[in-house]
Amino acid sequence: MSDIRLVGLRKAFGKQEVLRGLDLVVPFGKITVIIGRSGTGKSVLLKQLMGLLRPDSGSIFIGDTDITRLPEGEFRKVRNRFGMVFQNAALFDSMTVYENVAFPLREHTRLREREIRERVVASLASVGLADAIDKDPHQISGGMKKRVAVARALIRKPEFLLFDEPTTGLDPIMTAHVDELIRHTQDTSPGLTSLVISHDMEATLRIADKIAMLFEGRVIFEGTADDVRSTDHPVVRQFVEGRLEGPIKV
Amino acid sequence: MNPIERLGAWVIASIEDLGGYTRFTARATWGMIRPPYRFRLLFKQMEFVGNQSLSIVMLTGAFTGMVFAVQSDFAFGRFGARGLLGSTVTLALTRELGPILTSLMVNGRVGSAMAAELGTMRVTEQIDAIESMSVDPVQYLASPRIAASILMVPILCAMFDLVGVIGVSYVATQMLGVNPGPFYNRMEWFVDPDDIWGGMMKSAIFGYILASVGCYRGFYARGGAEGVGQATTRAVVASGVAILVIDYFITLILAPMSVNRA
Repeated sequence: MSDIRLVGLRKAFGKQEVLRGLDLVVPFGKITVIIGRSGTGKSVLLKQLMGLLRPDSGSIFIGDTDITRLPEGEFRKVRNRFGMVFQNAALFDSMTVYENVAFPLREHTRLREREIRERVVASLASVGLADAIDKDPHQISGGMKKRVAVARALIRKPEFLLFDEPTTGLDPIMTAHVDELIRHTQDTSPGLTSLVISHDMEATLRIADKIAMLFEGRVIFEGTADDVRSTDHPVVRQFVEGRLEGPIKV
Repeated sequence: MNPIERLGAWVIASIEDLGGYTRFTARATWGMIRPPYRFRLLFKQMEFVGNQSLSIVMLTGAFTGMVFAVQSDFAFGRFGARGLLGSTVTLALTRELGPILTSLMVNGRVGSAMAAELGTMRVTEQIDAIESMSVDPVQYLASPRIAASILMVPILCAMFDLVGVIGVSYVATQMLGVNPGPFYNRMEWFVDPDDIWGGMMKSAIFGYILASVGCYRGFYARGGAEGVGQATTRAVVASGVAILVIDYFITLILAPMSVNRA
């Protein structure tokens, strides 16, 4: 029953300041979508949440626990509460679909192979891919890879599910399918909190309970899909309408 | 930047790189000792490093022994000491050529593959995915590869020695007409099991180096296909040079022991 709170997050790579004091609350049990142009630090934000990158300053809270500066060993326990779907699915290409989805169970449980198989089949069935179980990642399409990645992220029933641009590179039908999958997963998983990084406005408006827009390293707008549709914030309007003219310089 | 600044930047970058490598190998070595133990991954890597390198190592060993026999026969024949051919070539094979050539061949085949595989996993976020699932990627990826190399390169070296000695014996006694009696007698007299063990010990160290450098370069590869290519090249060159340099120092340490033994 925990929110995620990001307080004053800063991150720079050399002289390039990506996050400049970002504040955001990701509410428990909802889908929060972070939008913004490519290169504004959205993926950096997700990697900081997972401890794959550490912020230069600022804090990340899960509930009341500050996880920002936990040592690596402690952070590993925190990661057990997360599932993550990477931008390009990041399936292990040396393993089959089955082995990919079974990976977290094999690493973290003492389940028998028969039980693992049952859970993997169920998880793949929930994303409509029970037939692809013995295929290699290179034998399936981009959309199918994303769905396998969702099945892998969900198999240990995480509290927090993070998606890094889940529909990038997919055709419109597969995009709608993945959107539906994210919404369905949220609605059928009690206690799940989802955070989605996207620059796909149509998808965002379809699935989001809360939308936050990232611009120049800070959150400049927060609200619901209806708030986004009705706002006259010039940056948000330009981004939503995809105009070249406006405060966002190309 | 002026030349002095460039030199300073290079020195700092090199020290940072060495520090990064030391931390990485310490983590990977600790990962071999502490649980969880992933024997399936270890056996898979042992098959890759050992079994799949066997034919190329044996081929190299056979032809090294054969060509060495021809060259040595030419040299020894000039002052009538052809009977020493067997012992001399066998000592050279077991003490130096076996460990060095085996390690360099395995480095070209296995070290480069490790750098390329881990580099590809890095740039396609597969290593991030492992970490995101609360698994230590260094222990999962590097530890079994390094352990497999430590175990398999000495065995490959022994195979190199064996095939090399068969090669030199065949060429010397069957093709060059060296008398088999003194050939085998002096070989037995001069070559001790410690020469073979010493070579195998060296190759275990070289196995550690080639695998750890390959994994380190791949693990920290950056920038897509080009970055993976650079990581692979740097891994092969760096571990090749390191093997030759470290061989010199190990030989300096081991040589006095051999003299005392004699």
